[in-house]
Amino acid sequence: MIRILRHQKVRNILLQALFVAVVLVVVVGGWRNAQQALSSQNVVSGFGFLQKSTGWDVNFSLLPASPNDPYWWFFVIGIVNTLFLGTLGLVLATLIGGLVGIARTSSNELLQLLGRLYVDFFRNIPLILQVFFWYALVTNLPSPRNAIDFGPLVLSNRGVYMPALNVGGWHVFAAAVAALAALALPLWLRTTRRLATPPEQRGALVWRVLAGGLLLAAAILLLGRTPGSPLIDAPLLQGLNLRGGLRVSPEFSALLVAIGIYGGAYIGEIVRGGFKAVGKGQTEAAHSLGLSPWQTFSRIRLPLALRAMLPILANQYIWLIKATTLGIAVGFTDFFMIVAVTINQSGQTLEAIGILMAGFLAINLSIAAIFNRINRAIALKGNQLRS
Amino acid sequence: MADTHPTNVPAVQINGMNKFYGHFHALKNIHLTVHRGEKVVVCGPSGSGKSTMIRCINRLEEHNSGQITVLGTELNDDVASIDGIRREVGMVFQHFNLFPHMTVLENCVLAPMLVRKTPRAQAEAAAMRYLEKVRIPEQALKYPGQLSGGQQQRVAIARSLCMEPEILLFDEPTSALDPEMISEVLDVMVHLASEGRTMICVTHEMGFARRVADRVIFMDAGEIVEEADPETFFQSPSSDRTKQFLSQVLGH
Ligand SMILES: Nc1ncnc2c1ncn2[C@@H]1O[C@H](COP(=O)(O)OP(=O)(O)OP(=O)(O)O)[C@@H](O)[C@H]1O
Ligand SMILES: [Mg+2]
Repeated sequence: MIRILRHQKVRNILLQALFVAVVLVVVVGGWRNAQQALSSQNVVSGFGFLQKSTGWDVNFSLLPASPNDPYWWFFVIGIVNTLFLGTLGLVLATLIGGLVGIARTSSNELLQLLGRLYVDFFRNIPLILQVFFWYALVTNLPSPRNAIDFGPLVLSNRGVYMPALNVGGWHVFAAAVAALAALALPLWLRTTRRLATPPEQRGALVWRVLAGGLLLAAAILLLGRTPGSPLIDAPLLQGLNLRGGLRVSPEFSALLVAIGIYGGAYIGEIVRGGFKAVGKGQTEAAHSLGLSPWQTFSRIRLPLALRAMLPILANQYIWLIKATTLGIAVGFTDFFMIVAVTINQSGQTLEAIGILMAGFLAINLSIAAIFNRINRAIALKGNQLRS
Repeated sequence: MADTHPTNVPAVQINGMNKFYGHFHALKNIHLTVHRGEKVVVCGPSGSGKSTMIRCINRLEEHNSGQITVLGTELNDDVASIDGIRREVGMVFQHFNLFPHMTVLENCVLAPMLVRKTPRAQAEAAAMRYLEKVRIPEQALKYPGQLSGGQQQRVAIARSLCMEPEILLFDEPTSALDPEMISEVLDVMVHLASEGRTMICVTHEMGFARRVADRVIFMDAGEIVEEADPETFFQSPSSDRTKQFLSQVLGH
């Protein structure tokens, strides 16, 4: 008996079993405690409340919403809102971060300085303050009558208006799917080793898939266009309010700008680190072979820098998705805020928090899984000698 | 590209060239002419400016005064002349500097396809020929990280050769290698030397210098101290600094 216990594998299994048992005891014990406490307060525990209608409304939704809708539908709306804000925030933060990072690694000293000031400034002010700042700014914009024209955007205290497509919702959705596929498929083609040709030789195919997908998206949009109206619907002042175009609420605008700018500062540092990690030797080799600065950047430095950045970038993305919960600070109905109101209105604290945690876990585990896949696909092969 | 340059101009001509790093005078009044097809070995103690000098030839470093003329084209701030010269001057580095995210074959065809606009099939055929010449055609589809140091350095040589350069620069190509791999790289270099390409090699492999060099150059403290054919250089060097250096590298 004692001898078996000395066996390494047996030991590992026993330790694992012990660990699982402890976790189970804690979870089950906690659950029973909570149920007793709740039933003494006359709250029925369980997920039955999901079918009840909420009786309250959300201020932002991409999906149809009314106070008669059940709780589960509101949770769906919350997740979609969080994903929408999160995705746009990540895209904006990545664009800003890319520019800032490249500015910081450029040989131009003014750009370097601007990049450093940007990072030092926006990284060192708490995100919630920045959200409040942008929210105050947006809500203090002039009324629609005196709205500011900012390129194609019209800025007013009722929100930011931007030109929209006169296209039915389903067509927009289908076009978005086509466009996403046009971007995702080339990525897969670039990295998978399951096809006969090695990934490096699929350049032409990749471009064709990309162009084809984008063309398809454009065609779907054209097909879905409301007959007899112009394709693009620009915001116009009519009477006391702005008509036409797409209105982006002050809450959403403030959050998006704050997440984009704050995240951009962090991502800028990640981008800079990625480029610094590229060996000077590789750049010199490219130069000595006669590659132009652009070719050296796009073929050597960027691909190597991306490989260095991706693992840290995944962390940052997960962090930024969690930062969308600041929506509650300005009253944007993201997933977190909907859960918070649900708790307030229904008293189903544990269930709602369970759903909240499961939702964020699912979102962030998906991000981690996607990045792990990409990382594995593009990882450098063999031992790396750093020079 | 032998026919694009008149054969009567020297491969490299350096006149009164100076190079500073801040206040540090790294290269002092360098004069050097390398004729076409000539094999020149550059040696000297660490920090004497050997790397800096050959890196000025393909503008990895910028010289501060004097003239460098490569195949009749003067190196100045003109980007087109720099690009033109880099196309004709290949370089092999101490740490190989292969592109780790590309296969050996991709490393070899990248520059011919991007810079010379060679079609892929043709570039790959040429790459395989050069990989055979450096005796590793079977590694073509591997990645640099999967090869030994000696194999990586031979890939780096093949990669340079794929651009069919008129001039090849070597900066201590065997210094980062284990002893048993040094000879496989030197063998390839000896073989190359028999083919008429201009070669300028920074190396401490004195055996190699004896065998292939037309001329040996000794540098110390940023100056060219001695310049002679290998026979004279090893048997009867004129400067004391050269004698001292030789006794150190040959002494044991
Ligand atoms: N980027 C740089 N900045 C400042 N000083 C430099 C730089 N590169 C080289 N130096 C200095 O210039 C001198 C010559 O350097 P170089 O690398 O050419 O020497 P080397 O002869 O190649 O030496 P080694 O045999 O160690 O490679 C050295 O004193 C070195 O410290
Ligand atoms: Mg050196």
